[in-house]
Amino acid sequence: MSYADVAVALILVGLSAYLLFGGADFGAGLWHLLARRAAEKDVIEHAMGPVWEANHVWLIFVMVMTWTAFPPVFAGIMTAYWVPLSLAALGIVIRGSAFAFMKIEHGFKIEHRRRYRWAFGVSSVVTPYALGAVAGTIAAGDRHWLSPPGAYAGLLTVGLCAYLAAVYLTWDARRLSPNAATAERFRSYALGTGAVVGALALPGSIVLGVRSPLIGLSALAGLVSLVLLWRRAYLAVRLSAALAAGSVLWGAAVLSDLDLDAAAAHDAVLRVIFVALGVGGIFLLPALAWLYVLFQREAGSHEDRARAR
Amino acid sequence: MVLGAAAGPASPADFIAAREQMAFTLGFHIILASIGIGLPALTVLAEWRWLRTGDPSYRELARRWAKATGVLFAVGAVSGTVLSFEMGTLWPRFMDTYGQVFGAGFAMEGIAFFIEAIFIGIYLYGWDRLPPRVHLLTGIPIAVAGIASAFFVVTVNAWMNQPRGFRLDAHGRVTDVDPLAAMFNPATPVQATHLILAALMVCGFIVASVYAVPLLRGRGERYHRLGFAIPFTTAAVVAPIQVIVGDWASRFVSERQPIKFAAMEGVDHTQAGVPFRFAFLEIPNGLSLLLRFDPHATIRGLDSWPAGVRPPAEIVQTSFEIMIAIGMALLGLAVWWAYTWWRHHRHGARWSPWFLRAATLAGVAAAIAMEAGWTTTEVGRQPWIVYGVMRTVDAVNPSPGLRYGLYVVLVVYAVLGAVTIGVLRRMRRPSHQAGALKVDEKITAGGAGR
Repeated sequence: MSYADVAVALILVGLSAYLLFGGADFGAGLWHLLARRAAEKDVIEHAMGPVWEANHVWLIFVMVMTWTAFPPVFAGIMTAYWVPLSLAALGIVIRGSAFAFMKIEHGFKIEHRRRYRWAFGVSSVVTPYALGAVAGTIAAGDRHWLSPPGAYAGLLTVGLCAYLAAVYLTWDARRLSPNAATAERFRSYALGTGAVVGALALPGSIVLGVRSPLIGLSALAGLVSLVLLWRRAYLAVRLSAALAAGSVLWGAAVLSDLDLDAAAAHDAVLRVIFVALGVGGIFLLPALAWLYVLFQREAGSHEDRARAR
Repeated sequence: MVLGAAAGPASPADFIAAREQMAFTLGFHIILASIGIGLPALTVLAEWRWLRTGDPSYRELARRWAKATGVLFAVGAVSGTVLSFEMGTLWPRFMDTYGQVFGAGFAMEGIAFFIEAIFIGIYLYGWDRLPPRVHLLTGIPIAVAGIASAFFVVTVNAWMNQPRGFRLDAHGRVTDVDPLAAMFNPATPVQATHLILAALMVCGFIVASVYAVPLLRGRGERYHRLGFAIPFTTAAVVAPIQVIVGDWASRFVSERQPIKFAAMEGVDHTQAGVPFRFAFLEIPNGLSLLLRFDPHATIRGLDSWPAGVRPPAEIVQTSFEIMIAIGMALLGLAVWWAYTWWRHHRHGARWSPWFLRAATLAGVAAAIAMEAGWTTTEVGRQPWIVYGVMRTVDAVNPSPGLRYGLYVVLVVYAVLGAVTIGVLRRMRRPSHQAGALKVDEKITAGGAGR
């Protein structure tokens, strides 16, 4: 296994994490726009609040890894797709700022949501669409992001994000919302989008010529997820849904068949990067785990818990 | 996937647009990044004082600054992401050829940024979930990682000024890459120090100027006085150090990038005994004396280089002079603050309204100085993107239509800047202070609606 292979693996890990965590935040933005009830929006805002910044950094990780480890690939993609990628960047700016403003204005006595609702919701759809369209165009070997494979991949990415978000939010709603009906509604969103995305993903992958056992894995995990959702196993379905979505991404990676060895940076560069990541990971990974555990725990102040003990 | 052979921009307008877009988005980000470096440290300082003294003013300051950090960090994080995209969408040939040489700095910056983002989440949302001391400790990684990110990012800019750690083969491809030699190039120590100190000054003076306004209007509660004194003192302590580091930076540039130095000081012709010129002021032999400690020393002038490698000297000189003028004024203000502080403690004297008026302007002035300094180093490096190695014009994306990207960015950023300032202004309202904290505490403590 060459250094370049390790770098590719790391980029894929980063992309997967970005889809599974950052992607779910985009999906949550879509649900925030579509949901009618304040209780649902509350759950979305509280679930995203502490973690979205960290989830976003996976994208930076992927970009920095790509331009350092495979500079010609990064330059080629950025030159060819500067329009959709600039759109994605602007979407990221608008989405992140709108969310931060919405959170902070929650404390004011004005209607904080009306102002940022559309900016937050629309940019949460544009960004994954644009990123998905670029990824799909590259994977299918097509030329233009507005081509059918690009449009298909863009829609599929938005669908995957919406699906992941609905699945994750079902558990968050049960945890955060006093109203049991909120979790039920997210469950129905998850069941609905799960069925739609599954129906979109399978035929598409066959038309595009993905020949990989990953299709079977994705379909199986998708079916298991629907069953788990039906049976209200909300924690277990997080894993199976993540597997179903992740294997779509890995299928696209197999399809793309990029020749990366020729584009790889010198071993001296990759060695420094790997060491830096290793040292950084010692601090980063436990901190990341703590972040998720801390805010997934039953809500309540440390004083409350101390009293309960 | 391979770039075409044709080099250069699609049109001169697109090339100018790419440069303007980079300058504009970076200029926007640099102010937010400065606050992102300084404000977490100020917040942790206030929280520590609260835990030590139990003074509720400190608690209120820590809470407010944490909220402002939340907003500004978010906008800073996404405007920083735009810069990562622009590295590729605007300057793909630069990334293609040299991405691997300076990439290690960015990779380390990415790790530091990740740590920052994780602890920002824990710190901002953990007030009621963590014991006070643990909460205080979770603020420290934000401050440390913020300074570390600044350092790592500046290693890349320093490398663009002093490219090291590679050789070019016969086909113009890089070989013998040594990423650590690239990171720790000769410009890194001075540039990183100068920028981190500048960031602390920008943040300190901006935050303090927010509190100078109510103090001027006579609403001088302890909360406002502390809100002014903590950041202003931080910035005032840094100001004299920054003057020394600035001197180091000029001397470094005069040795390593003499053409940039000639542009900064407006030395048109090579001559001995160069006068020191500043705006309308002229001191005979001053510059030679300042630089070489010899009134008759010779300094190389712009005309000793071919016209094709000279930077636009007027812009470089003007922005350099603006930075120096503001830096000196801020140094004066720091001394004035020390005097005010001494009189207050010795004689119980009130802070002078004229001092507060000047302090109100210090925040904006420091931000302008930051932009001017950045303009000096960036425009002073032109026409090179990598000094002496790659021209900016050869790095640009050859796609047509880049200028439309600039127009969209200008509109979005104008709105973003206006909304950010509006949100921050609304955060200062007393109604927010009274009513909103309760709402917020309920949420962080009990989850939605509990």
